[in-house]
Amino acid sequence: MLIELLTKRYPGMRAWLTQRLSGLVMAIYCVIALIRFLVLQPNYYEAWVDFFQPWWWRLASLLFWMSLLIHAWLGMRDVFKDYVPNPNIRGVLVKLLVVVLWLYLAWATWLLLG
Amino acid sequence: MQNNKLENSQKIKQANGQKNRPKNLNLLTIKLPINALVSILHRATGCVLFLMLPVILLLLQWSLSSALHFETVIAILHSPFIKLMLLGLAWAFFHHFFAGIRHLAMDVHWMTTLMKARYTSKVVLVLGVIATLILAVKLWL
Repeated sequence: MLIELLTKRYPGMRAWLTQRLSGLVMAIYCVIALIRFLVLQPNYYEAWVDFFQPWWWRLASLLFWMSLLIHAWLGMRDVFKDYVPNPNIRGVLVKLLVVVLWLYLAWATWLLLG
Repeated sequence: MQNNKLENSQKIKQANGQKNRPKNLNLLTIKLPINALVSILHRATGCVLFLMLPVILLLLQWSLSSALHFETVIAILHSPFIKLMLLGLAWAFFHHFFAGIRHLAMDVHWMTTLMKARYTSKVVLVLGVIATLILAVKLWL
């Protein structure tokens, strides 16, 4: 059922579900990040680097950033749909948004895996 | 009682006809119900968080690049004005977070009646403020 909703046949449902799932992933990541931060207390540079050292944390962080950018894409697209009535201007804004989000993803990937 | 009100408003609508509907909306005359307030703040904070993404990525990159850069980032974050901005951003995050959790709860049909939704709206607003206050205490003490 859930998987079926993610197919191209239901674009509205897909957007809706993707927004929720990405939000859930980010919420879980944020809670774990807060707990890790409070436990490890990275107060100086080496500790801060160590905070991002474990491979599983890097992967989780990457997953977080991917979710964030998908979430931002759907959210900002809705905002543009609501407040930019001119389809030409909106088209440009949405294209710009896509480019910016891909750049952020490349940036985050480079930071976390590079 | 409520039925009466509904009937009355329908009667008024019929009496006025479609032509007398207000043509423009004075935003200052609209009092937002608390659910709507949480909703529009969810959207506004989402936009703010999106706009702050490059700053967050830049700070992350600097803080991880070298010990010297790390100290610089810490120094920047410690200046009073930036601290205030940081607190504002933190509130945006907390509100978006809690309002998002509320959305997820409602999507699984929890707390969906109007009274309950109003109550959870208040909870979301209060939790956002409390989390921000805790961070403020952490930042200034």
